Amino acid sequence: MVVRAAKEQDIPAIVDMLKRLKRLNQEFDTHFSISKEIEKNATEYLNKNLNDHENKLFLVADNGGKVQAFMEILFRKRIYYSPSQEARIMEFYVMPEYRMLGLGKKMMNELIKELRKKKITLISSEFPSSNMIARNFYEKAEFRQLISIYGKWIDRQN
Amino acid sequence: MDQQERTKMLGDLSVKLARFYKGKINSIPNVPIKKLSDFSVWYTPGIAKVSLDIAANKDESFELTGRWNSVAILTDGTRVLGLGNVGPEAAMPVMEGKALIFNYLGGVNAVPIPIRISSQEEFFKVASALESAFGGFNLEDIESPKCFFLLESLQKALSIPVWHDDQLGTASVILAGLVNSLKIVGKKREDVTIALVGSGAANIATAHLLEAAGFKSGNIIMVDSKGILQPEREDMDQLMLTNPWKYKLAMRTNSQRIKGGIEKAFKGVDAVISASRSDPNFMKQDWIRTMGKDPIVFALANPSPEIWPEKAIEAGAKIVATGRSDFPNQINNSLIFPAVFRGVLDARSKGVNFKVMVTASEEVAAYVENPTADHIVPSMQDLDLFPKVAAAVAYTTVQEKLARKTDSRQGFYRTAKEIIDTNRQRYSKLLDSGMIKGADEIG
Repeated sequence: MVVRAAKEQDIPAIVDMLKRLKRLNQEFDTHFSISKEIEKNATEYLNKNLNDHENKLFLVADNGGKVQAFMEILFRKRIYYSPSQEARIMEFYVMPEYRMLGLGKKMMNELIKELRKKKITLISSEFPSSNMIARNFYEKAEFRQLISIYGKWIDRQN
Repeated sequence: MDQQERTKMLGDLSVKLARFYKGKINSIPNVPIKKLSDFSVWYTPGIAKVSLDIAANKDESFELTGRWNSVAILTDGTRVLGLGNVGPEAAMPVMEGKALIFNYLGGVNAVPIPIRISSQEEFFKVASALESAFGGFNLEDIESPKCFFLLESLQKALSIPVWHDDQLGTASVILAGLVNSLKIVGKKREDVTIALVGSGAANIATAHLLEAAGFKSGNIIMVDSKGILQPEREDMDQLMLTNPWKYKLAMRTNSQRIKGGIEKAFKGVDAVISASRSDPNFMKQDWIRTMGKDPIVFALANPSPEIWPEKAIEAGAKIVATGRSDFPNQINNSLIFPAVFRGVLDARSKGVNFKVMVTASEEVAAYVENPTADHIVPSMQDLDLFPKVAAAVAYTTVQEKLARKTDSRQGFYRTAKEIIDTNRQRYSKLLDSGMIKGADEIG
């Protein structure tokens, strides 16, 4: 298994994983009900952003051509704080069959190697508060809560 | 009389007799009371010393009280028979019936305890608190996946055997039937492929037991209402959260990663074990026609199997089993649980595990000396089955270091037989003397 930058040919597999990940978020919290257009939107987004190396990094775990996991990282500027750059994991999904095998940890280590090359010293992750699986994963990896986002419906949609 | 009329007739009779007898079991003294002063031994002041002895050594509670032979039948009434969530009060008559079978076939004092609880954690707490009074727990008619949580957590936490009959009893008798079926068709368990149709309590436990008995996980294909379980199915993340037991099986079964609907699961497999929908038109003959050589079909839904046996045979099935007594090969939990509990109680076992269950299944299978397509499992009439299986179970708990009391297999057999026979003789005396009125005498 190798961890490598995602390519265009990986887009269908990544879209499938994004759908699974968002469906899982939907399970946790109805604020994250998935869009009917998720597949189209995800494909368009990936086509547009996959090569935006300045602001984003897309990693996949590839085992003999089979994409087993996917990670999207956003490089954020911190104009008020030091250090001035932060890498934020926006999406992270491991296909069920390959969980509990250390794949997540391996991807995280590869990411950290990449970030060191870029001299980025702060890493964070964004996920729905109610996603206990993500919370457990990151706490185990010694992340701690840095910011909170609160939300409420103004007009409840069905 | 058709099936519907028969069910109504039996239901009406059940209500009439329930109203007359007002409870199917009773507690009667086990010791001689000839004069009132005897109570100074059976009760205070003499009994204080017995109490102190147990306080000094809690395992003495198995020798100085009826704990050794007492089993609690615990339910929250959330999945009673095919009726669904009828609540604990309405579960009581069913639990009484279970207690009757425990007593008649296994000589076990089973106490029905339907409880009103609001969460699985509360059930766990109540059950844990009752441990001190019982030699074993039988969980009964509890909805899935709560039943998996309770069985797993209680088995882990308690020092008495915890059994969930809808899982473990059914799985054990399925394994017994399968062992003899494979003997008949001349196949080895390590080679056969098996589709488990329905992924509820019975088949999830069956998958675990098959693995423990030497069947290959990868050769098992599990099917639920959404089709074949496999890791890439879209609902896997949801399953991981709501039913981790089913999720884990999805990860390690079906090594060929067959995807699709139920009909695909039948293709080429040696056996199908269906515990899914009580509808005789559910399983299609065309599906059976696609199975491997000499297909084995267990259609176990009650009251109606997923396919009538003659239809399955017409489609090529070599061996067919159902849950019903009016067809050959009844896969019936009652062949297992009275004997398993007789065994674990006689050994004062601290638990029950898959090894013990596999032993019970093998013993039930071996009871049928020359299995044929119409005779793969014994029947409840085979009364010597129960002490035999009990002895095998008790002896295995000794080997597994679960037993508080050890004996030889023959010794356990003698104990079990004596308890079962004496219990039945005592009951017969009450019946013969007219102290228990015959049902035919009720007007």
